[in-house]
Amino acid sequence: MPAPPAAVGIVLRAYPRRWRQRYGAEMAALLAERKPGWGDLLDLARGGLDARMHRLVRPPAQLVAAMPRREVVMVVPVPRPYGVVEQQPIGELSRRAFMRRMLGVGAAILALEFVGGTIAFLWPQLRAGLGAKFPIGTVAEIIAKQASFANGWPFAVGPARSFLINVPAAKELALGREASIANPTAGQLLALYRKCPHLGCQVPGLCDELKRFTCRCHGSTYNILGEKLKEGPAQRGMDRFGVEINANGVVVIDTSQYTFGALDRQDVKFLSFVDAAPYDRKCG
Amino acid sequence: MGTDRSTSDLGRFAEPALLILVSLADAPKHGYAIMTDVNAFAASPIGPGTLYAALARLERRGLIEPMGPEDRRRPYRLTTAGSEALSSHLAEMRRLVQVGRARLGTADV
Repeated sequence: MPAPPAAVGIVLRAYPRRWRQRYGAEMAALLAERKPGWGDLLDLARGGLDARMHRLVRPPAQLVAAMPRREVVMVVPVPRPYGVVEQQPIGELSRRAFMRRMLGVGAAILALEFVGGTIAFLWPQLRAGLGAKFPIGTVAEIIAKQASFANGWPFAVGPARSFLINVPAAKELALGREASIANPTAGQLLALYRKCPHLGCQVPGLCDELKRFTCRCHGSTYNILGEKLKEGPAQRGMDRFGVEINANGVVVIDTSQYTFGALDRQDVKFLSFVDAAPYDRKCG
Repeated sequence: MGTDRSTSDLGRFAEPALLILVSLADAPKHGYAIMTDVNAFAASPIGPGTLYAALARLERRGLIEPMGPEDRRRPYRLTTAGSEALSSHLAEMRRLVQVGRARLGTADV
């Protein structure tokens, strides 16, 4: 399909002036015979870009001689000023070419910054937030910080937004008995995500009278293992993270392991653990 | 680079440049004639932009030279340096062909 002559004219403007002075006429003659298509147009555009990037045209002496000269009326010797501008040697960088190249470099840096910024923005940040592993310390260190952890009271882990639960001790606590378990295994530890599965409020700590969690926003109530009880609109129990004890005995909450809380089936008989208080009571 | 007389270091214009030299080897031709000639004997056609980019490089290296204009068209011819460069390049290609064929086991073809 031939390209319209107007498009050819526009593309020819991609060539620098000196190039067109030297090759313009013969190129026009070629194009007149060739009836250029769109592919040729693309080729010409690339050629123009190439001609702008490389200084290819050196006016041959015979052509220079053939050029019409202006009549010189009077030659006034002008004292050479400081920093006189010499004829630019071919192949060296002129000021104009330098500026043009710097423009290109600037555009490239801008594009690089944009791409880099986009990638940095999208890069997953695994050192903090959901998805990261949070080392808490050994069980002994946790108990040193909060002695009641051995008695079943939840240990709040701020960065992981979790309650760490010492499950056997916690069950005893919720049943109104006293126990002290200072060496729970990894399987006996539970990390409850403190975000209420109803609308995302932060679930406050265990209340003294019932040993249950009640969300302040809408009153969803969970037992000490985070299972949903009668009260409140939440549809499931509190969500859980993975817990492991590594080779150094350090408890690690792995927030990349995420388990949804069990669905609220609205009957006490579906709970895995039943505490001492009546099913329909809530804190506060 | 202005004094380099070989067709190497022409980047992506090395092949079109070689095709132009071959095309001009028998007689001077102007741009359109070179293009139709090359597109007749070469596998990959070259467009007008590529043609003139390669022409300008060859001219700067002194491998070809423009002749006086005929009408609006300007024929080009090989210079002595150009025909030397072409024949040395062809000799090298010939050597390459021989080595390649020998290794493929088709040397007698």
